[in-house]
Amino acid sequence: MTTHDIYDERIASTAQIARHPIHPMLVPVPIVCFIGALIADIVYALTAQMMWANFSAWFLVVGVIIGILAAIAGLIDFLSNRHIRALTPAWLHMVGNLVVLILAIFNVLIHTRDAWTSVVPTGLILSIVTVLILPITGWLGWTMVYRYGVGVAR
Amino acid sequence: MTTQMRFISAALLYGALLGLTGCSDGSGDPSAQIGPNPVLPNLQQYLIPPMHIAKVIGWKKGETPSVAQGLKIEPLATGLQHPRSLYTLPNGDVLVVESKAPKAPAPSRPKDIVLGIVESWATSGGQTGPSNRITLLRDTNGDGVPDSQSVFLDHLNSPFGVVLVGNELYVANTDAIVKYPYNAGDTKITAPGETLTPLPGGPIDHHWTKSLTASPDGKLLYVGFGSNSNITENGMEAEHNRANILEVDRDSGRFRIFASGLRNPNGLTFEPQSGALWTVVNERDEIGPDLVPDYMTSVKDGAFYGWPYSYYGQHVDPRVKPQRPDLVSKAIPPDYALSSHVAPLGLAFYTGTNLPESYRGGAFVGEHGSWNRQVLNGYKVVYVPFSNGKPNGKAQDVVTGFLDGNDNARGRPVGLAVDKAGGLLIADDVGNTVWRVTGSGTGPSPAARL
Repeated sequence: MTTHDIYDERIASTAQIARHPIHPMLVPVPIVCFIGALIADIVYALTAQMMWANFSAWFLVVGVIIGILAAIAGLIDFLSNRHIRALTPAWLHMVGNLVVLILAIFNVLIHTRDAWTSVVPTGLILSIVTVLILPITGWLGWTMVYRYGVGVAR
Repeated sequence: MTTQMRFISAALLYGALLGLTGCSDGSGDPSAQIGPNPVLPNLQQYLIPPMHIAKVIGWKKGETPSVAQGLKIEPLATGLQHPRSLYTLPNGDVLVVESKAPKAPAPSRPKDIVLGIVESWATSGGQTGPSNRITLLRDTNGDGVPDSQSVFLDHLNSPFGVVLVGNELYVANTDAIVKYPYNAGDTKITAPGETLTPLPGGPIDHHWTKSLTASPDGKLLYVGFGSNSNITENGMEAEHNRANILEVDRDSGRFRIFASGLRNPNGLTFEPQSGALWTVVNERDEIGPDLVPDYMTSVKDGAFYGWPYSYYGQHVDPRVKPQRPDLVSKAIPPDYALSSHVAPLGLAFYTGTNLPESYRGGAFVGEHGSWNRQVLNGYKVVYVPFSNGKPNGKAQDVVTGFLDGNDNARGRPVGLAVDKAGGLLIADDVGNTVWRVTGSGTGPSPAARL
């Protein structure tokens, strides 16, 4: 990895409202939803109370919908700025979160099954893997903002 | 490095798309699942289960279903509002139960919203006027064309089963068996009903049809009602006293569970030769195009037929938690499979003489039709020959043509009845028609029987 310090360059975001980038406004929603889904899945696996599986199904659907919107905003920033495309963490962040979204979409479908096997074991495993990837891609996202100043106003 | 990343991203996207768009469902030959020993494939679970809904297009003027050789079919009544079951009164009047599903509860998960939309395709079409009533058809001169069609009993609550015992008419609403006074020749009941026995109804009421019949001596009523879910996804609490056939004392309304584990029993009828109670049952969905075969069976006192824990005897369903091996070990297989997802809702034993010899003594079954497999199954009325009170032979297609050539539904058969003249009546709930099948008769006219 090349560690040329471009902190001072402060790369602008394209998908922004009054210089507030949209992508970081949206990402907390899928993050919280996927963590919520994992908690609900764990409680369902322990109790077999359908209410928890239902919670998880709602969390996943909302997480995927807002996650897709966040991905679109992020992709606009990524594609419209060659300085962002030049950052290795940007690529890793994008691919990692794409994996998160794809896993979550599969998880939505697994959760449309009826009763126990809508969660155990496949749904629960997907929820765990999804949440395990989030701190890694989150770290990479923060790297882009705090080290390279992506989206930070001049 | 960046090209590598691009390749990985593209591969991931492609893989995701491939996984989401399922291909053909790999269903087998439905005839291998008709009879006492159906072939049961391995259970499968899906990301998106195979689904194929016949779009409702209705009957054009002059169109009718097709019938087997030696039979003819005519509409007995049209312009009905979702007719679901039929009952012939002793004087020959025919009751048509027009019924609509109770209001669906609020969705408990996103899937409920999607399924609600999908289901609306399969039941749309036809009129949307007032339903939940019973219409009386009277044919005074016996020409097979009713002289009058009038509202007999109105403002019911999603009714389905009807049975007359003496001067008491029992209607199985979705939430109770209600008793009404009836005298021979009545064309309208205005007296308020009297609740005999409450039945499990809303707010979920997933399988809402309550099938009803009376024992041959008239002392007992039998009422069947289905589960409150496909496979317990609405929670175990919602299944309290569900998927059972109850035996109800007609005098007191007291009841006991006669048989259990029947996912959605309909068409309760006593087999005339053996005197046994029979039912057709809709089995569970979403574990494959060829699982689980729907069936007809004699109903044994105290028997457990598996739902939700197991299917077709002791095949365990992994979707149910907690599992109950103690109950599974008691589950008995049903008598006769009708093949998977055909959705049998009507059952009538034929003891008349109007239809040709080959249709006497056995059972007609109304198959509402499938949604949970690519290749449509059901959407027809079949005949299962019986001997000595037991099925004896393969089911034969009797009334078909409810589908057009392009998998659109012109109608869907539900409840069946035999009229006084021996004609087979078929309620067609999306075609809003009652069909009457008679012998095409090379001999004396079947209408000249009275």
